[in-house]
Amino acid sequence: MLPRLFCLILAFLSLAAWRPDAAAWLVPKSVAAFTAPTAEQATPPKPGLDVRLPLQAKSIRFAVIGDSGTGDRAQYEVAQQMEAYRQRVGYDFVIMLGDNIYGNHQPKDFAQKFEQPYKPMLDAGVKFYAALGNHDDPNDERLYKPFNMGGERYYVFKKGDIAFFVLDSNYMDPNQLAWVNQNLRDSNAKWKICYFHHPLYNEGRNHGPDLDLRAQLAPLFRQYGVNVVFSGHEHVYERMKPEDNIYYFVLGNSAKLMDHDFNSNGDMVKSFDSDRGFMVVEIVGDKLYFQTISRTGQTIDSGELARQAPAPSAH
Amino acid sequence: MSMRYIGLALRGLCLAVVLTAAGLGQSASPAPPATAVDAAVVKDFEARVTKYMDLRKKQAGSAPKPTNSADKLTKAKEDIGAKIRAARADAREGDIFSPEIAAYFRKQIAATLSGPHGKRIQASLRHAEPIAGLAIKVNDKYPEGVALQSTPPSLLLNLPPLPKELEYRIVDSALILRDITPNLIVDVLRDAIHMPQ
Repeated sequence: MLPRLFCLILAFLSLAAWRPDAAAWLVPKSVAAFTAPTAEQATPPKPGLDVRLPLQAKSIRFAVIGDSGTGDRAQYEVAQQMEAYRQRVGYDFVIMLGDNIYGNHQPKDFAQKFEQPYKPMLDAGVKFYAALGNHDDPNDERLYKPFNMGGERYYVFKKGDIAFFVLDSNYMDPNQLAWVNQNLRDSNAKWKICYFHHPLYNEGRNHGPDLDLRAQLAPLFRQYGVNVVFSGHEHVYERMKPEDNIYYFVLGNSAKLMDHDFNSNGDMVKSFDSDRGFMVVEIVGDKLYFQTISRTGQTIDSGELARQAPAPSAH
Repeated sequence: MSMRYIGLALRGLCLAVVLTAAGLGQSASPAPPATAVDAAVVKDFEARVTKYMDLRKKQAGSAPKPTNSADKLTKAKEDIGAKIRAARADAREGDIFSPEIAAYFRKQIAATLSGPHGKRIQASLRHAEPIAGLAIKVNDKYPEGVALQSTPPSLLLNLPPLPKELEYRIVDSALILRDITPNLIVDVLRDAIHMPQ
């Protein structure tokens, strides 16, 4: 009996050392939530933080998170890295790609799954702009002021020359399609960025791409010169090969994780499915710089993208 | 009441004009040709929805405003839900999805799922974290903490438009009519979604 127990403990410790995420699955979720670190316990920023953005004057800088609202330890650890990077990068807003609050939507859930993990950023005046995921409550979240949705399920906001079109991919009804069409057409922003929960292009095995949504949205994005699209839902990171000259990112691992999830057909430029992460983005002139960072501070992906020439039919 | 029908009809017409002008909806599965019978059924559906909306407005008043307080959000939602549930205490399945309306909806859904774009719509349904094994009942809350499956855009293009306070959602093989603010199940159409093999 004892040697068997010893072997089991040894196997668990080996697993924990080799793949902490796999070992974490063996810990009950309630325990993980209970042991979520507080802001006071947060690891101080490492002096050698790897920053690959140029941090140019007069640039627009923001962070990206997706599928973040679990309230568990992983979310808090990603939030700590985000705060460390905020102090160096100086982004002043965060875009949320949906599944901002998993499970119940009682007041304590808003506290545990949003207000507490991101408290240092909220206290510093960072604004969060949320899109709705399938685990979100469209009523509660659109009316929750810290999500800056203005009471709407889909909306647009501008930062400098950049227009952000925030869509509700859960319910792309004819009214919203008409709104997307009109707002993309009428926008004269230099950069058009769309974000929403369900990815149009995705090589994750768990969900895959939403083909019906793609059939409705991709032609509009092409026609009206959308530059970049961010989505979540698949609990991984993916940078896709450009489609119709549009850059597509999937980031659905800011708390949730689907380990070993890829079924690659060669459409990904870069992928990551072994830990959680977030992005920081800087836009200046015709250049977009991005850096994707894991919860342990490892740079997963980074690069520079040039603004595409508008399509001939684009406004 | 007649003014309301005219308003709904005009709204539908305007939307159709906008979508056509925008070139939208072209990739949706074509709906079966509308017949005079279909038009009458849709008109009946709209009247039933309008009746619900009248009751809702009387009970719920104006829409809640954005707030910083999650407490206020929860309280407003629960207050509105309790009032509507009490006012519809005798609500039954089929109050809105009457047998004729149910047959029309099933026909529209079947045409969408078996049409030329049916495979991609079915794929979207399968990949949208389908909700199964959930007990749903008219005038109950949609179970808190359970995800809402996305409704494919092509399907929404083939169903009658709804006021912004309501939405169509899929639960297993049922289509539900959901009131968003109080998170209430207004009506249930069972056995609505069949995935052709």
